[in-house]
Amino acid sequence: MASSGWELAVNESGVLKGHEGAVLAVRFNGDGNYCLTCGKDRTLRLWNPHRGIHIKTYKSHGREVRDVHVTTDNAKLVSCGGDRQLFYWDVSSGRVIRKFRGHDSEVNSVKFNEYNAVVVSAGYDRSVRAFDCRSQSTEPIQIIDTFQDSVMSVHLTKTEIIAGCVDGTVRTFDIRMGRELVDQLGHPVNCISLSNDANCVLASCLDSTLRLLDRSTGELLQEYKGHKCKSYKMDCCLTNTDAHVVSGSEDGFIYFWDLVDASIVSSFRAHSSVVTSVSYHPKDVCMLTSSVDGTIKVWRK
Amino acid sequence: MADVDEEDYVYFGTPIEREEEISSRKRKAIAEPGTLRSLPPWKQEVTDEEGRRRFHGAFTGGYSAGYYNTVGSKEGWTPQTFTSSRKNRAEVKKQNIYSFLDEDDLKDIGGNTLETSMQYDTFGFTAAEFARKKAEEEQKKRPSAIPGPAPDEIVLPASSSIGMRLLMKMGWRQGHSIKDSNAESLSEIRREARKAFMALSSNNAEPDISEKDADGTDEFPDMSIDVLRNSENTPVYVLNPKQDMYGLGYDPFKHAPEFRDSKRLRESKSRETKRSKVHMGNLLSSNSKKYAPGFGIGALEELDAEDEDIYASGFDYEQTEVELEPSKAVSSSSGDRMLQLEHKKRGSLLGFKLASDSDYKLERFYPPAIPSNFRPIHKFGAPLDQTLKNYNSVPPPDAPPPEDTNLRLLIEGSAAMVARCGKSIEDLYMEKSKTNPLFLFLKSGAEGYDYYVRKLWENKQKFVDNLKPAEKLTAENRGRILGERPLASTTSRVNDVSVKAREVINTQSSHGDTVTKPISLADLPDSAIKQFKHDPAKQERFELFLKEKYQGGLRASGTRSSTSTSTMSEADRARERLDFEAAAEAIEKGKQTIQISAPSTDHTKDLLGFGEDRFVSSTLIENSETKLEETNVVYPKREQFEWRPSPILCKRFDLIDPYMGKPPPVPRARSKMDSLIFLPEIFKSSNKEDAKSPIGNSLEASKSGLKEAEAEPSASEADVAPTSPKNVERPVDLYKAIFSDDSDDDEADAGPALNQAPNPVKSSEGANKTLNRLVAGDFLESLGKELGLEVPPDSIPGPSLNANTVSLPEEQKSCKGGDDRDDTPFPKVKETKSKDYGSTVDSSREKKRSHSKHHRRRSRTPDLDPDSGSDSDSHRRHRSRSKKRRDRRDRSRSRDSESSDEAYMNRKERRKKHHSRHHEHKKKDYGDKYSDKKRRS
Repeated sequence: MASSGWELAVNESGVLKGHEGAVLAVRFNGDGNYCLTCGKDRTLRLWNPHRGIHIKTYKSHGREVRDVHVTTDNAKLVSCGGDRQLFYWDVSSGRVIRKFRGHDSEVNSVKFNEYNAVVVSAGYDRSVRAFDCRSQSTEPIQIIDTFQDSVMSVHLTKTEIIAGCVDGTVRTFDIRMGRELVDQLGHPVNCISLSNDANCVLASCLDSTLRLLDRSTGELLQEYKGHKCKSYKMDCCLTNTDAHVVSGSEDGFIYFWDLVDASIVSSFRAHSSVVTSVSYHPKDVCMLTSSVDGTIKVWRK
Repeated sequence: MADVDEEDYVYFGTPIEREEEISSRKRKAIAEPGTLRSLPPWKQEVTDEEGRRRFHGAFTGGYSAGYYNTVGSKEGWTPQTFTSSRKNRAEVKKQNIYSFLDEDDLKDIGGNTLETSMQYDTFGFTAAEFARKKAEEEQKKRPSAIPGPAPDEIVLPASSSIGMRLLMKMGWRQGHSIKDSNAESLSEIRREARKAFMALSSNNAEPDISEKDADGTDEFPDMSIDVLRNSENTPVYVLNPKQDMYGLGYDPFKHAPEFRDSKRLRESKSRETKRSKVHMGNLLSSNSKKYAPGFGIGALEELDAEDEDIYASGFDYEQTEVELEPSKAVSSSSGDRMLQLEHKKRGSLLGFKLASDSDYKLERFYPPAIPSNFRPIHKFGAPLDQTLKNYNSVPPPDAPPPEDTNLRLLIEGSAAMVARCGKSIEDLYMEKSKTNPLFLFLKSGAEGYDYYVRKLWENKQKFVDNLKPAEKLTAENRGRILGERPLASTTSRVNDVSVKAREVINTQSSHGDTVTKPISLADLPDSAIKQFKHDPAKQERFELFLKEKYQGGLRASGTRSSTSTSTMSEADRARERLDFEAAAEAIEKGKQTIQISAPSTDHTKDLLGFGEDRFVSSTLIENSETKLEETNVVYPKREQFEWRPSPILCKRFDLIDPYMGKPPPVPRARSKMDSLIFLPEIFKSSNKEDAKSPIGNSLEASKSGLKEAEAEPSASEADVAPTSPKNVERPVDLYKAIFSDDSDDDEADAGPALNQAPNPVKSSEGANKTLNRLVAGDFLESLGKELGLEVPPDSIPGPSLNANTVSLPEEQKSCKGGDDRDDTPFPKVKETKSKDYGSTVDSSREKKRSHSKHHRRRSRTPDLDPDSGSDSDSHRRHRSRSKKRRDRRDRSRSRDSESSDEAYMNRKERRKKHHSRHHEHKKKDYGDKYSDKKRRS
């Protein structure tokens, strides 16, 4: 435990303040130099978390913004939220290039694909929709609506779309194979996260349990308990080395588990209120957490 | 007679014009305008509605006023043309009403224009201003030595107000105060003294007040202007906005100006604090409703539940009210001012002290503790049913009515009363019987008791029968009552013999007992587990029944034979027979545990306990089911389905479309009726209400050859004869006989070309194929003509009837490979049909589709699976289902997002409430979760 302690981002090194109201998501960009946050104040904000600088604010959403994702070349953003549309932004100018319509309800999660050509979004309307960034059309090119409840989180690999749903399933849509794998967990899935080697998927369930699944077999590898996650949309993730599992808690705590033996390595109070999102630096030992209390905190070892 | 009289009359004056004349003039007037318009203006004349020339008056124009009866000028009254104010700003002038009035109008107004009057210009400001302006103008006109406008000091107003003039006449001079100088100086001295005094004793103001009272009158200058002295100039006007709530002119500090300053000081201080606090409050806590802090919501957006601040965190800022009202220490005796302040600090009322100890305590009533085993489900006691059951089980023997008609009537009446009102009435009668010999029949053994019992039973039956119609009589119920077999079992093996036997029983039962009806007889076992265990006799009969059923095929009314007891009525037997039949059927189906007794218990429940079971059964069933499921399912569970990514998605992901070149997703199988009866193409397009492209459809149909048309007929089409002879339909196998070898790949290519975005690689190929097919179609047509097959297919003897049987093995064969299928007509037709979304036929059908069914079908092998990958279809299904699922969505709304987060427990509560029968599929989805939750909690 002592040996693992040094490599966890458990020491607060900065606070990013600026959001009015709850911050709903925080995301590192591809290389981890910047981060994007979005929140209930209907804005997106671009920060340099390492220097603690607020770079830009993107305003156009009419309702709360729930998720944001940035392309690998850092040129475009896509965001989604309560206004049922996806906003496709130009990062530098801060303008909305396009608004993708189609969702019948709030959109919970959004991601670019590897080539930044497709945006895949997951919504409360029990569907996952894919939109084409290259065409002028704002209509979805694919609608997946085999879900039976609100889809909370979506992730993309090179060939797959993975989505976690409140109906208790993690569904993997393999585009190459043309098949849908349904992993039933039995509990509403709040958030999913991929391991860095993309072999495992971590699903945060609403029974206050994180479940680690082997993606190839659908086998349950481990369960992580101790935190509180019952009603809020909260993020979870794995650390950069895939050695630990991180999740926020509804009581403002951050929990670190050992990936293998599921023991709580560290837990500490990070925020005064619900920790909505955690994001781990892709390379370094650095973590961002956002909370309902309106702050984003930067954590280092 | 009249003629004679007329001659005697003497006429005076001119006679009134006759009607014809007037009407002719009118006619002329009406006819004229057309002709008038052609005349030059000076020849035109204006007429009124009576056709007379309009006379404007002798002095105002005669017959021709204005410019030939128009407004003043030749142009008449031309509207103002638009002039751009951008180019010539200077010319734009403001319009007022006078720019629209001519002299006549002005005369009508009477030359009254609103102007300011100098007469009431008390202080002379307006006059001064006016004079100054005048002077300025004059200054401008005349050349002066000083260039530019003269300063105001030089040019003084030349006029003064009346008041000023009056004052001047009375001796007042400008710059002098109107005041008694004596009084003035006196008060001046006093004020000085007071100030000194205040400086000495700032706290104690008591002697001061008395003094003030004394010189109160002096303070205000009396307006007598008899004596005018030279003193300092009075300020003309003091701008002092009224900020307090006192009456006009009332000054609480009139007699104590010293307090004014202290008050002002205090006020400004408190205002500051208040402002800051309120400011804080507004910023941090929100208004009445709790929005998320920091921003509001647009005016047009309605306030959803989501907009409320669900993160309402622990910190709430209180909006503190700061008292603004100054303490009226002046009016009251200032002695208790300190006390008052102190009280204010403590927050109690003036003149009251906070009690140091009080025996008043806030009484709190805590809700009663709910026992842990309490279940919030109400069970209605059913005493009536209980008694009914008793009566049912052993119907009392028929008894002869007593000879005494009075007694008979009494017995009948009281029996009716007891049946209706229950046992209590009977008890009452019993009480009475002690005193009144009339009620002796109530005692067993007494005369008429048997008759009474019988009557009571009959009445009860009647009463229950009357009650029943109030229940919901579903088709199923009625079917059961009428002895019909439930629909589901019609497909199962039902031998006609048993049906016949039942019919016999039915007729028997309907004629059997005049008083009791078959519905009311419900001597059924209420234990749901074992059929007739509690009733050994019945169990025995049941066994016998089974034996008979499976041994001998033919039984007419066999149950009556051996074991039927004399106590059982015909209807009872019929009833029992039905139960036996149902139970036997259930056994046949192999559902031993719950379902066996289901028909009978359901029946009794429906008939009797319409209160009890409605509330209990749903949760009970759910619980049992979920438990069952939970034991079965082990999480995580992996399932695999076919999923069809759209080609463009594959392209964007830089992947090869796994379904490239494969036929389009086959829509899910439709209901039996639909697959059997294929509506002709024309019907289909006419069915579509929104019919996006009926023409396009038919175009496509023709383009893709005659396949669609051919696909339609099937074996069962004999009774659905196409009405239009134009609707050329050919048997499939004929086509097959000719084109069977190349049709496979044909189809495979034609599919995507029709339904989806055309595959770029294959499109040209597809075009060729369709061309081929067109040619083939022509050929086929001619062939058909030769063979005499032009007529609708039902006239074709062999091939059309064979169609299905031939195509069936074809289908199976084709299912082996992904590429070569769709030889059968079905998918094709469906494909075209699947294009018209929103057609009423489709959607209505969709509603019937249950979700679980969908699931089952999904899990089939992909190629056979008609449901697989058809996104659009399942989408539609979801839509149509959405109504059913609304309440479920309500529930899930709370679950899914951070915007409407409620506790999971709440959801559970609502779940129970919302549960209804048609949500069975939901149970499957949630049951496991639910019960799991429950266990944990």
